[in-house]
Amino acid sequence: MAAVAAKSSQKTQSTLALAWRRFRKHKAAMVSLGVVISLVLMAVFAPWIAPHSPTAQPTGDDLAAYFFQGPSAQHWLGTDDLGRDVLSRLIYGAQISLLVGFIAAFAAALIGTTLGVLAGYYSGRPLRFYAGPFAKGSGGFRPLPFAVWRVVSWLLLFLLLYLAADLAWQLSGTNVQALFAGAVTLNNVLSLLGLALVWGLVLFGVFWGLFGQNRIDLDVIISRFMDFMLTIPELPLLLVLSALLRDTQGVVGQWANQVFGEAASVFIIITIIVLFGWIGTGRLMRGAVLSLREQEFTTAAQALGAGEARIMFRHLVPNTLAPLIVNATLAVGGAILTEAALSFLGFGIQPPVATWGNMLTRAQEYIFTAPWLALAPGFMIFITVLAFNYLGDGLRDALDPRSRL
Amino acid sequence: MIPLLFAASVVIFTLLALQPGDPLDELRQQNPRLTAEQFEQLRRAHGLDQPIYVRYFKWLGRAIQGDFGQSRTYASPAGQFVFEQRLPRTLILSGAALLLALLVAIPVGIFSAVRQYSRADYAITFMSFVGFSMPVFFLGILLLFTFAVWLPEQIQGFPRFPVQSVSDFQWVQVLEGQITFFQYIGDWAFKLVLPVLTLSTIQMAAWTRYMRASLLEVLNQDYIRTARAKGLGERIVLYKHALRNALIPLVTLVGLAIPGVFGGAVITETIFSYPGMGRAIFDSLIEKDYNVAMAALAFLALLTATFNLVADLMYAVVDPRIRYS
Repeated sequence: MAAVAAKSSQKTQSTLALAWRRFRKHKAAMVSLGVVISLVLMAVFAPWIAPHSPTAQPTGDDLAAYFFQGPSAQHWLGTDDLGRDVLSRLIYGAQISLLVGFIAAFAAALIGTTLGVLAGYYSGRPLRFYAGPFAKGSGGFRPLPFAVWRVVSWLLLFLLLYLAADLAWQLSGTNVQALFAGAVTLNNVLSLLGLALVWGLVLFGVFWGLFGQNRIDLDVIISRFMDFMLTIPELPLLLVLSALLRDTQGVVGQWANQVFGEAASVFIIITIIVLFGWIGTGRLMRGAVLSLREQEFTTAAQALGAGEARIMFRHLVPNTLAPLIVNATLAVGGAILTEAALSFLGFGIQPPVATWGNMLTRAQEYIFTAPWLALAPGFMIFITVLAFNYLGDGLRDALDPRSRL
Repeated sequence: MIPLLFAASVVIFTLLALQPGDPLDELRQQNPRLTAEQFEQLRRAHGLDQPIYVRYFKWLGRAIQGDFGQSRTYASPAGQFVFEQRLPRTLILSGAALLLALLVAIPVGIFSAVRQYSRADYAITFMSFVGFSMPVFFLGILLLFTFAVWLPEQIQGFPRFPVQSVSDFQWVQVLEGQITFFQYIGDWAFKLVLPVLTLSTIQMAAWTRYMRASLLEVLNQDYIRTARAKGLGERIVLYKHALRNALIPLVTLVGLAIPGVFGGAVITETIFSYPGMGRAIFDSLIEKDYNVAMAALAFLALLTATFNLVADLMYAVVDPRIRYS
């Protein structure tokens, strides 16, 4: 025992230093770290590195001569269909792609952590929202706000149920009347069934509102919501949302155009990626917190009188940091990939802003004449995603040595 | 599951209904002589003047009976277009890709796990990392460039793989004896090689990694040591004791991947001009042909929810330790 103690005191190392030592052994991860750092530097110093402007189009008499130039000393990677320098667009494209990747991964991790921790911590513990929004401040039970909230919530529920029942009648009423008048068709029978179903549900809702226990916990709501998000086909929904939010006539589109100007579509794409991106983190955190909250240190913190927020965010979250960081690193690569896929389909970040994805958009048409147009940005995306995946792998080995893959 | 599906269809329908621009705008541009009054009549005929929730419930009522409305661009019922024309095509492409991925991933994963830390293992791990990080569009364009443009130009007599991946042969021609069965299959196979490769690479790489990891985990268990200790041959230990348990996590993954098979792959289908489900959804969004989009998306949501359930149940079947109360 004494020998062990002596040995450990002789060579004390912080957790971080240990992790760094383990990380250094992962050669591919070290190389990837170098790649990522150089990509970030390239993005930051793009205006000084890029040989040409990424958006400048040539002017002159013989415009056609400037288009689709092959690689040359002046244009190392040639020019594109509008005569713009491909290398410069690649360098500037790194700015947008990395920006989208980092911000989307960070925001998704933030939202996923918050919701996942809440879901895991309150799982099986019914909410205390009985008191309702009229009870100001915490503290003891107050009868008046409680009663007011009870009445208001009942009224809201019954109004909603009334609307549902009325809508069902509006839709199926004529068919049902026709059915009772003697017109037995499939359509009319189905209308009757639908009406019976909706009114049955409404009656159930009324009874539930009057006599139910209302013991909904936050986990049910959040987990159901995550299940629901996973039911919707992801890529089509991303396309639909992108078209909806980028619409310059729409509320979001106008607002984004005012605030972000040319970068409005960048902001919107990040929002859309985050909208779906947090679910993975959310499920991860929920699972981790579900097991961590049963451990002794949580009980100890509770016994010492720590508040719920303190337990969740000072005791539970730090213990999940290792998988969280790994997850976020992998998410950067995923977000870059999603942005590129959306832009490739023309639903992403709009030209003239250069991103690796939208450089690919029309490149496929020129694969016979100018293959470098498609291959160069595709290769950059590939290398970046590969680097982030290896980085995540190395971080997992370094931070979380017990878990493999 | 049914509430989930209901909510999903509500959300999809609402988002489609809120899409910028009126689905009939194009019609108005094509017919400059259309008066505002006639246009209003047209909108009423398409039910576009009603509020969204009324339209949704009308759509739901008809969809339950199998009527998904009329496609505006393809001049056929949307359900027929999606399920009879596009779905079989997509099943061929994505099904072949899924099968290829499984057939490669399982043996390679086993090999890699058994020879852990060998040179072959490192090579396989590296390859699977590369495949996993490969963007579909880059891989597709790369394959297209290599096999349809570059190699045929470099090497005399190298078969030029097609840019358009649909065979001209019809099944009817086989029945009528105009072409042989093998010509038909051969032509389809030749044209599908590149898209199937493109589509299967990511899954292949991911599943190889999972197969390797899960077999390694199982091989470290006590019961494997027991099996070896009582003198069983390595082959029996591996295939009878280890592999069965190692396949459990893979079952879930494959189950969750099946809805994707039906959903097609927008990007792969775009690159290889293959008329499948993914392309149908994408085109219908651009053309604002929302009956088609709604039919396809609702079908996909149904499949996803079903296969989530099936994957859970399958998990209980292959792993008796899990019990559902």
